[in-house]
Amino acid sequence: MTMKMVTLRIDEHTVEVPAGTRVVDAAKKVGVDIPVFCYHPKLESVGMCRMCLVEIGRPVVDRASGKVVLEADGSPKIQMAPKLETACTTPVSDGMLVVTTSEKVAAARREVVEFILTSHPLDCPICDKGGECPLQNLTMAYGSGTSRFIFDEKMRSAKHVPLGELIYLDRERCIQCGRCVRFQHEVVDDPVLDFYQRGRALEIITRSEPGFDSVFSGNTTDICPVGALTTADFRFGARPWEMKPAASICAQCPVGCNIVYDVRREAKSSGKPVIKRVMPRQNESVNEVWICDKGRFVHHYNESAERLTQPLMRVDGELTPVSWQQALETAAAKLKEAGKGLVTLAGGRLSNEDLFNLRELTRAQGGTTLLHTHMGGGEWTRQLGLNQGSNLGSLGNGDAIVVIASDLHQEAPLWWLRVKQAAQRGATLIVLNARPTRLDAYAAHALRYQPGEAAQAVAGLMGNHKTPAAFQTAREALAGAANLVVFFGSDGLGLTGTRALAQTCADLLMQSGHYGRPNNGLVGVWQHSNDQGAWEMGYAPAADLVGSLKKAKVALLAAADPVGDEPALAKALAGADFVIVQEMFLTASAEKADLVLPVAAIPEREGSLTSGERRAQRFYPAVPAPDGVRPDYTIAAQLGQRLGLELEGRAAGLVFLRLAQSEPAFAGLSYQALSTAEEQWPIVGRRDLYFGGTTYDNNQGMGTHLQPVLKAGERPAAVAAALDTELMDAGDNLLVLPHTRLFDQGSLVRFSRLLVERVATAELRLNPATAKHFGLAEGVAASLNLNGADASVIVRMDDALPPGAAWLPRRVGVPLWAPAAAQVKVMERD
Amino acid sequence: MNELQKRYPEDVAAILKKYPPEFRRSAIMPLLYLAQRQDGHVSGRSVTDIAELTGLSTTDVTSVVGFYTLFHAEAGGRYRIQVCTDLPCALRGADDFLALLQKELGISVGETTPDGMFTIEEVKCLAACHRAPMFQVQGDGDITYHEHQTVESAMQVLKGLRQQAQKSGKEAA
Ligand code: SF4
Ligand code: SF4
Ligand code: FES
Ligand code: FES
Repeated sequence: MTMKMVTLRIDEHTVEVPAGTRVVDAAKKVGVDIPVFCYHPKLESVGMCRMCLVEIGRPVVDRASGKVVLEADGSPKIQMAPKLETACTTPVSDGMLVVTTSEKVAAARREVVEFILTSHPLDCPICDKGGECPLQNLTMAYGSGTSRFIFDEKMRSAKHVPLGELIYLDRERCIQCGRCVRFQHEVVDDPVLDFYQRGRALEIITRSEPGFDSVFSGNTTDICPVGALTTADFRFGARPWEMKPAASICAQCPVGCNIVYDVRREAKSSGKPVIKRVMPRQNESVNEVWICDKGRFVHHYNESAERLTQPLMRVDGELTPVSWQQALETAAAKLKEAGKGLVTLAGGRLSNEDLFNLRELTRAQGGTTLLHTHMGGGEWTRQLGLNQGSNLGSLGNGDAIVVIASDLHQEAPLWWLRVKQAAQRGATLIVLNARPTRLDAYAAHALRYQPGEAAQAVAGLMGNHKTPAAFQTAREALAGAANLVVFFGSDGLGLTGTRALAQTCADLLMQSGHYGRPNNGLVGVWQHSNDQGAWEMGYAPAADLVGSLKKAKVALLAAADPVGDEPALAKALAGADFVIVQEMFLTASAEKADLVLPVAAIPEREGSLTSGERRAQRFYPAVPAPDGVRPDYTIAAQLGQRLGLELEGRAAGLVFLRLAQSEPAFAGLSYQALSTAEEQWPIVGRRDLYFGGTTYDNNQGMGTHLQPVLKAGERPAAVAAALDTELMDAGDNLLVLPHTRLFDQGSLVRFSRLLVERVATAELRLNPATAKHFGLAEGVAASLNLNGADASVIVRMDDALPPGAAWLPRRVGVPLWAPAAAQVKVMERD
Repeated sequence: MNELQKRYPEDVAAILKKYPPEFRRSAIMPLLYLAQRQDGHVSGRSVTDIAELTGLSTTDVTSVVGFYTLFHAEAGGRYRIQVCTDLPCALRGADDFLALLQKELGISVGETTPDGMFTIEEVKCLAACHRAPMFQVQGDGDITYHEHQTVESAMQVLKGLRQQAQKSGKEAA
């Protein structure tokens, strides 16, 4: 479908843009900044502030002939409109003439600014937005310098209104542009901000419980064109001009949002730079100009006093500080001794470089590399994952998306947003889950399956399994899809269930031929930011981790805490001769280790991560690492050295080159390729008058998709749908299903004290009928005995959940990774 | 069934019946009007109930309450004297009228007379601009317009309202 193009003149420029483009955007294309307040290229135009007024003329058309009337010189006769028009609401038309430089326009801008300032406090010196504030900038550029209004009649209102614990509102500064309200309604569909009253009395309110209940709330502080909305995390923290931006990648989930760490040197950290705030960095193929609140607020861990900063070795039963040299020598000797008995258990928060060096190190000893995850299926995302040219933002009419066994809103918020938007653009969305999730509302088909039967549901979608009639309709909708992306997760599933599910999804994609080209394939909604990278390098979870750990002579745990995860794993590990842990903190595993090696956090080093969409992206050092810590890849290289291996440890970029030489998926990639920036549209990040928010421009690279693992036309080894299931019937016990919550009690969240109230707790949710069967009532404390541990939970009734099972979040202090049978007891209350 | 439905089962059902399910949010205006019938204001509880009935957020329902001077979030006097002071009315002396009325009743805009009878409010255009000064009275589940007003005529209206209140009080007793 070709777009109809329209040619128009804007001042001295001639520009051709697609029909439907707003004048303000067409002007931006040719570098003409029309000032705006209420307009934002990602929101509906409303024409509320009048700042964008311009003169517009249109060709005169002779009514009789329908022809454009010409001037004597042959040029079309232009009729200027009698009044100024808002450039943000007016679509371009052929032959249009836009004038932005006339005195009439200048006067309009002057007066609009003057008018807005009649109820604005102008407290710039104490305002967080000062220095990056459109109102400040536009006043300087267009304001008159004086006001004809009476100073005493300025509005006076509340200046520190907590909309929740994360966002503060200054009611005086609000210029009523409605950007925050529209963002919450249109973009993220959390309608928890709105106007109250009108005219000069108008104010922004929230009535949600908790206040401003939205996992995207921080974005409103970016797009607010004044200092009315600020985050509790950053307000009064620093001035914009004091901070330096460092490009990075959010490592809190597999989306891999592009971010910036704004850092400043501070006396309290002895003159070292510290992270003051996390901001989105525009990447229209990944996160557009948004990030979620987890990405924005979970950054305090790296400055925690609990960080490990020197190697610890067990001497006489006690972990005792030792030198790096001694630590590395001991570790190397142990690795050598272990030989095949070495088991390396790696977590998905490690970078590509870390994982590569650890793999080389382990393989050289003949040891085993394992990925620490509760999710299987990466062998399929590796072969059938997304390739170059894929962009969820380009899916729409005629395409289809399947999301199965995942609560995307909680597990990968930006994917949730992008999938929702694709559905709103016309893509057919099919959501399958055992319980309702927030994506159902946008789905053409929201289908349910029995707890545990996710793979069966996909088989049903293919017509290979008996399923309700609704599946038939969904199948028909899928059949004609031009492009198809399938997301699978681990909602209510464990390792066996997800592995079967992934294989069945692979079967579906292969049957319909939706793979091996852009915008088609399988995406795993992993727990960690770089699980996909690990799979690409051949890491996989052990089918029986307890068994594998039991057999280990030496266990090397990097970014993995099996001891903290499950009592059975702790027991298994106790049998190993020697346990080495590479960690930032003294985790439960580190406490039990023989040797602990302190590592650098992501903002303290270079590296790259592979997102769930198979996009490799670079992160850069933002702050110096504390003395005594080293990046994981360096540690692995230094161990290798002592074992006579030639591992690269000097720089992450050099490790990446080795990786590119060794792994076909990374072939031809380099840090240079990853850091290539492409022009993004809409243009929003710049410090100019067409204000798109305090989002940063992307000058440090959009990342690159990994290479296809299959050659053109090649199919993966034939698979059949796998219908193995996990525990689905707990007999007399209660079947407890795990699910993932955005703010869990994971090791990094807890350092952001601001988030305490939003963190998931051990709440057991179940249908009232099931509750009754087990003698449970709303709000009671119950004790669960599952996976060899006793845990106390609070019971919550939820009509929306299907009967027969209960749901409990992962990582809330209860060892639950896969469906489990639990004995339940109501606790005596004293 | 939520509280509002329990209190006015037929009215709520009749209102909801008017709108197809996908336009349920349109029922917000009549539901709010219903919710303040008894107490003269929309309670927080009713806001939650209406949010539930219309599928809107409580924030959005509150926003509608705030936008229209027809609706009230706070309790007030039995009768709300709503004086229009928008531009056309102001040109015809609404500001002076309002000032005198406040003086006469001994209360300012937003306040209620000690007997709980009257609250004065300043409102936006009520579409009677050519007959200003004017005000509308909201109370006893009713709305009445009073146009071409002077303070004297207004006080007559209020006197009438007092009598009406007394009468209905006696009847009730
Ligand atoms: S708080 Fe900011 S974004 Fe929201 S309406 Fe006010 S000025 Fe606009
Ligand atoms: S969506 Fe995921 S990657 Fe993006 S900011 Fe949130 S946690 Fe980070
Ligand atoms: S009216 Fe156009 S930017 Fe506000
Ligand atoms: S301005 Fe007062 S009724 Fe219209």
